[in-house]
Amino acid sequence: MLLSRVYTPGDWPGVPAMTQPLTDLIRAITATSVHEFARYWLEQRGITPIVQTVHLLSVASIMGSIVLIDLRVLGLALPSQPATELIRRLMPWTWCALPVLAASGVTFIFGRPNRYLLNPVFGIKLAMLASAVILAVTFQRPTATDPQFWEHSRGRRATARLVAAASLVLWLGVAMAGRWIAYVDYLFPESE
Amino acid sequence: MIVSLADFWTWLETLPISGEIGATWWFPFLESIHVLTATFVVGSILMVDLRVMGLAARRHPVSRITSEVLPWSVGAFVVSTVSGLGMFITQANRYAGNSAFQVKVVLLVLAGINMAVFHLGTSRTLARWDKSAATTTGAKIAGACSLLLWIGIMLTGRWIGHLS
Repeated sequence: MLLSRVYTPGDWPGVPAMTQPLTDLIRAITATSVHEFARYWLEQRGITPIVQTVHLLSVASIMGSIVLIDLRVLGLALPSQPATELIRRLMPWTWCALPVLAASGVTFIFGRPNRYLLNPVFGIKLAMLASAVILAVTFQRPTATDPQFWEHSRGRRATARLVAAASLVLWLGVAMAGRWIAYVDYLFPESE
Repeated sequence: MIVSLADFWTWLETLPISGEIGATWWFPFLESIHVLTATFVVGSILMVDLRVMGLAARRHPVSRITSEVLPWSVGAFVVSTVSGLGMFITQANRYAGNSAFQVKVVLLVLAGINMAVFHLGTSRTLARWDKSAATTTGAKIAGACSLLLWIGIMLTGRWIGHLS
């Protein structure tokens, strides 16, 4: 169980032919010295779990910032701290975590491009991540000039709650999808 | 009959639910729930630790941050523990013998002791420094220990799967 289910690199029979640009990209990555470098280090004992932990700690920072803010906007958590103040105080954690998240994630992609780029779960994860980031930027943007922007009218408050709910679902989805990359066969069983 | 710990682990492994989890999508599902809730535990406790250390949210009373954030940490911890146990029972002997798992359990116990010492001891003087930006040396030590222990728990947890 511990290691038996970890995916071994290869193509997914269920993934259609649109993967040509991706296989080209994988070939290009595999030809770089960065790939050799990343692969060498990830194969050294202890390096992979350490980089994975850095990745998870960035996820934890996101849980402690934007996810808490989403819960606050939805009226579920931190009742005494105004959402506007939480956004100002906690959002920097998300913006600092994202580059660390990307750097550790890209290390894995460069080390084993096969494992990720052709993996449909990874594609879903990336799509959710991009949506979550775009949502966060558009939500935070107006509060820079007008901290009360989302509280001015009933319509805006409702919109804010909707955005927070979507953001929450997306971030929790991103966090869960990361683990499912290794279990892609359960979600996309080999087609006959 | 159960006469040793190993017998108990074997008994856990032979429960119908263990076989069901181990052979189906339940295992990856529980694992992803475990990671999700564990990162939430660490992220929310990080925010509390930084306030307790006097490094963040300095304008808010310590008691307010702890009373509003910690229930969420505890809730996530419970879900994380249940999902963790769900994975554990599928191969209890193997996990119990996994050195990363053993260190993780020790670190979890230490984090619990650190929390108990803080709540029963250090925080008894809380009324005096609750609203001040700077906190006491004891509080700073407790916060720093908590931070390091939870990072260690995450690292050893992630390491379990890398040992066969």
